[in-house]
Formats: sequence, C-alpha cells, structure tokens
Amino acid sequence: MTRQALLIVGFLVAAYPLSPSVAQQQKVGAPPESSNMRLVGWTDLQARSAYQPTIHRQGDRWIAYIGHHGGTDDVPTPVNPLTGKPEPNGTSIVDVTDPASPKYLRHLPGQPGKYEAGGAQMVRICDGASLPKGDKAAVYMLRTFGGEAHEIWNVANPAEPVLLTRIDGLKDTHKSWWECDTGIAFLVGGAPDWRTKRMTQIYDLSDPKNPVKIRDFGLVGQEPGATGTVPTDLHGPISTGPRGNRVYFGYGTNKGGVLQIVDREKLLKGPKEPTPANLAAPEVSRLVMTPWTGVHTAFPMLKTPIAEFARDKDGGTRDIVMIVNESILNECLEARQMVWFADLSIEKAPMVVSNWTVPEASGNFCQRGGRFGAHSSNESMDPVYYKKMAFIAFFNAGVRALDIRNPFQPKEVGYFIPAITDKTDKRCVKVDGQDRCKTAIQTNNVETDARGYIYIVDRANTGMHILELGGEARTVAGLK
Amino acid sequence: MNRRTIVQTSLATGLMAGMVALGLGKDEPQSFSKDVPWRLIAWPFPRDAWLPGQAWRRGALDVYVRPKIGFCGNCDTGVVTDEEVDRVTDIDLLDERFVPAKDGLAVRIGNLSGRARLYRYTLMGGGTRLAEGIAVSQKCDLIIAVIAGNLLDERERTAAYRHLESSAVQDWISQQLEGR
Repeated sequence: MTRQALLIVGFLVAAYPLSPSVAQQQKVGAPPESSNMRLVGWTDLQARSAYQPTIHRQGDRWIAYIGHHGGTDDVPTPVNPLTGKPEPNGTSIVDVTDPASPKYLRHLPGQPGKYEAGGAQMVRICDGASLPKGDKAAVYMLRTFGGEAHEIWNVANPAEPVLLTRIDGLKDTHKSWWECDTGIAFLVGGAPDWRTKRMTQIYDLSDPKNPVKIRDFGLVGQEPGATGTVPTDLHGPISTGPRGNRVYFGYGTNKGGVLQIVDREKLLKGPKEPTPANLAAPEVSRLVMTPWTGVHTAFPMLKTPIAEFARDKDGGTRDIVMIVNESILNECLEARQMVWFADLSIEKAPMVVSNWTVPEASGNFCQRGGRFGAHSSNESMDPVYYKKMAFIAFFNAGVRALDIRNPFQPKEVGYFIPAITDKTDKRCVKVDGQDRCKTAIQTNNVETDARGYIYIVDRANTGMHILELGGEARTVAGLK
Repeated sequence: MNRRTIVQTSLATGLMAGMVALGLGKDEPQSFSKDVPWRLIAWPFPRDAWLPGQAWRRGALDVYVRPKIGFCGNCDTGVVTDEEVDRVTDIDLLDERFVPAKDGLAVRIGNLSGRARLYRYTLMGGGTRLAEGIAVSQKCDLIIAVIAGNLLDERERTAAYRHLESSAVQDWISQQLEGR
C-alpha cells in the first residue's frame, strides 16, 4: 500500500469512529467507540470496581472522590501501589486539576467484603464554609462504609483524610444526599427494625462532628410492626433544599419503581414517630412506574422552559424529573431499564411524558456481555449542563449524552464506550451448566464538573475516563 | 447421593421440623387432596414485575413456585430472617394485607437453604386462611414457593413439600436457575 493510500485509510478511521452497529464483543487493544465525545484523561483507579464519582473544587484544585464496590472473587483486596499493601476497596481520591493527567492521591480502604457486601460505594462532599456549623477550613466527605455505616471525613488535605464521625449499626447503606447549604442529610440504609432493606434516616449534619438524628422515613408499610406487602426498597433521594421544598425519593432498581414527591418542610418538622399517618403526612404525591422498572435516580429539573411550548398560553415551563432505572442482570435477562422523563408540573398528577434508551441493535449490546441498560445519570446541577444535557451511564453501551432541552423529545447527541483493558473483569452467565464469560465495559456511574468535563467510572474495574464534548453535543451545551 | 435424594431427605427433615415449629390455624377448609394426582394449572395471578411461575393443584391444595432473580437482600447470607421472608414472599398474591401467624424457621431444599413462615390472609369474600411462604436462595437469586390449602392437615403439608421435591418441580427450578 502506498503512503498516500495509508494516509487516506488513516483519515477515514479518524474521521469516522468505529460504528457500534458493526461492533461486537470488545477486545483488549481495540479503540474506544465514540461520537461527539473525546477522551481527555484516564486513571485505572487501582482496578477497583467503581460506583459514585463526585468532583469537588477545593481552592484552585479539582478533586475527584470515587466510591468503590467490594473486591471480586478473583481479587478480593487489590494491592494499593502507593502503599504496596492489599487493601479492601474503599474510596479513591484523585487530583483532576489537569484532567489530561489525573494524579491518584489516596486510597481510603472500605469495609472488607466482595461486590456489594464491601467497599464504600457512595460519596458526597460539602465545604465547611457552606455548612451552617462547619469548620470553615474543612472539606467534609460523607461516605458509606460497606453496608454497615456512614462516615464523615475531613478531606481538606485530600491526600490525608481524617475520620471525624461514624453512624453505624445499619445495613445496606447506599445512595445518600447531603444539602451543603443546610447540612440536612438523607442517609440511605436499613435500620435494624424496619421491614425494608433500605429506607431514609434523616440527620442534621450541619456540624459534621456532632450528627443529630431527625427522623426515620419510608413508604407506609415499611415501618416496624407493619404487616402485608413490603413496599419497594428505597434507592436514593435528591432534595431541592429549602427553596424548592421538595425531596424526590426513588424506590426500586429494576422493578417496582416508585417516585415519591415529598414536602421537605413537613418531612423535617412533622411528627417523627414512624406511624403510618406520620409517614404519609409529608407525601405530596407519587408516581408508580410499571413494575418492570425501578427508580434508581430521580433527578429534578424544576421550572424548565420548553421552547416548543413558548407560545402556548399555559405550560411554557414544566417541572421535570428525569428518572433512571438500573439494569442489574447480565445479557438482557430482564426488562429494559432506561430513562424516563416525568412532568410534575401539576404535582397531584405526575405523568411520564417521554423515554429514551440506547437502541440495542446499534451495538448488539445484549450479546456483548455484562449488563446492558441504564444505571444512573450525572447529578451535578452546575449551570454548564443543567436542564440542557444529561449524561447517562449505560453499562456496556458506555455513557450517552442526551440533549434534554425539550424533555418531551430527548435526543442523543454523543456517546463514548471506553476500550477495555487487561484489568477489565469478566461477566458470566451459565449455559448448559457451564460459565460463559465475556469481557465488556460496564459504565456504572457518571458525573460532571463545573468546567464541563464528564467523568465515567467502570463497574468492571476499568477505571475512570475523563471526557469532553465535541461537535453537536458541544453546541447543545453552549460550550465554545 | 444425587441431588434429588438430597432434596427429598432434607425436605422431609425440614417438613417435620416445620410442622412442629409453625403450628397450624383453626379455620382451614376441609382436605380434598387424598389420592388425587398433582396437575399443572395456569398461573392464577395477574402479571406483575416477576415472570409468572408454575402452579400445581391437588384437590384443595395449591403450590405456587417461581424464581425472583437478583432479589435476595443479602447474597452472602441468603434468607435468614423473617423480615426477609415477609419482603420477598408471594403471599401478597393471595392478599396484600397478609399477616404473619408464627415466627418462621430455617428450611433447606436440596442445596438451596432459606426460611419458611406461616401467614394468615383474608379471602375475597371474607374469612381467613393460612398459607405458607417459603424463600430459598442461590447466591443473589431466590426461589419463592407458596403453599395454600388446608394447612391444618399435616398430611396436606407433607404432600405439598413432597411435591416441591418431586422431579417435576425440581427440574423446573433447575431450569430457572440454569442461566445463573
């Protein structure tokens, strides 16, 4: 082949990224698949299975905190290269000030245990300067410790975190929410006497050294002493704080989904005994999803202007909640989990108005291995993307960038499916009694920072990829 | 000892312990099951989040079985508490307002262990009955069974448990867990 021909081939490869429609099972060494999203930087996160990333500006630095699941059967306690010792998966702390060259600062071990039985999946960050009674010099990290506890650390020096507080004696702690301006925290876990795996324990963490319990909360029927059907477990809440006065609780992962809309003030100030009447009192309304789907993430976008409705006499702005379900089974052995947009403008009558999924045939994703379907969205409300774009972690279909300016008609404008590495863990199903394993990316969570970088993390140990938008996606976001 | 023998042995043991520990209610219907063969019937419940299971009937005795894949609350310990049986049981297919009648007890079905509990539920036209909810697990996956009928009659419960250990049920359970 002549030099000219090679140049032409090279140009075509560069100009037209590998189309997912022709891609099958991923191979080590193969390039990532992408459209309008570009890889800026990468860190392997010590090949630990990753859950929630949270990116926080600390002075002139940008620090990423990444929660991890427990270890795997093959590698229950990966070695931390910084210490040379095996450590149970916990929290990775990475300096991403230069996103092209992320610097791994510290691994903070979590609860020993494999998969969801160990690690420290969840992490939220608040500045002491924003909390009403915080140490102004402190930066606080709220994290889960396996399933048994919540912990608060001072990470003002992110390389040397200091443990301040522990709330333990729990089970299945998970995806909490912390209001940095008030200190109110909605901690997800299972209280010993409640009938559900996960419910909410509300704390005042305005002084992180001295947590004050406010109340327990859940769906009627989950409380101690109830009988009959146990309502779906909580997955996680998102609060709009005192100004919005609403908390959106998502129940369920891949089944029995319920979006519960709650009056925050009534929740915090109402009678606290977990009686059916007291639990029902702060509920404004609820949206019961089809039993085939859960509500993993309920992300509020209130007062969203809808250009299409601009000339209508009423309904030009809508209160929208984006609902993301979680796929939990490999190779499509369940109903599709995807993204739903609900219109809550008239709160007593919430209604799903649209949905979106990756077309399976676009990448033969049911055959690639691992999970295919949605898991979570970015939760940052920074103006750079809020109410304009949403990023959805879609397991083996990578991350998907949606134009949500009209949530009645969401549209994909970009995607990125990272390449696998030799550290990417396999996912197996049994066929004729034998394990049949495939290796595929498992993009589990996604978050954005105020600069516009997109951070995706992998459940199958492939690390964290830092991305930026290009092309049409960049235009939608209004980025230069 | 093959798997079915293990199932039969452990079920028989579990059954005897279960009958003693659970006790029985007082307002059960008469038994009509004696000498009647089990027959497969259509799944009698409306569609819900889980795939329909298999239902068998022998006289007045019904057995409902289905998998709930990925639903175990603790993949390491399996079903070890009454609260977990309450959470995962299918008794709510009979009546969403079911009430536990007794503390549960540990059961083992072949290589699947878990817990069973007796519940009281209300019939559509009034009156109450007893039904037994059984939940056993394989890693994160559950097999859920419900026995409904005259649970006052120990022979009926014995028959139900024996049916659960029969090849018809065991083969079907194995098939459901095959891909896991």
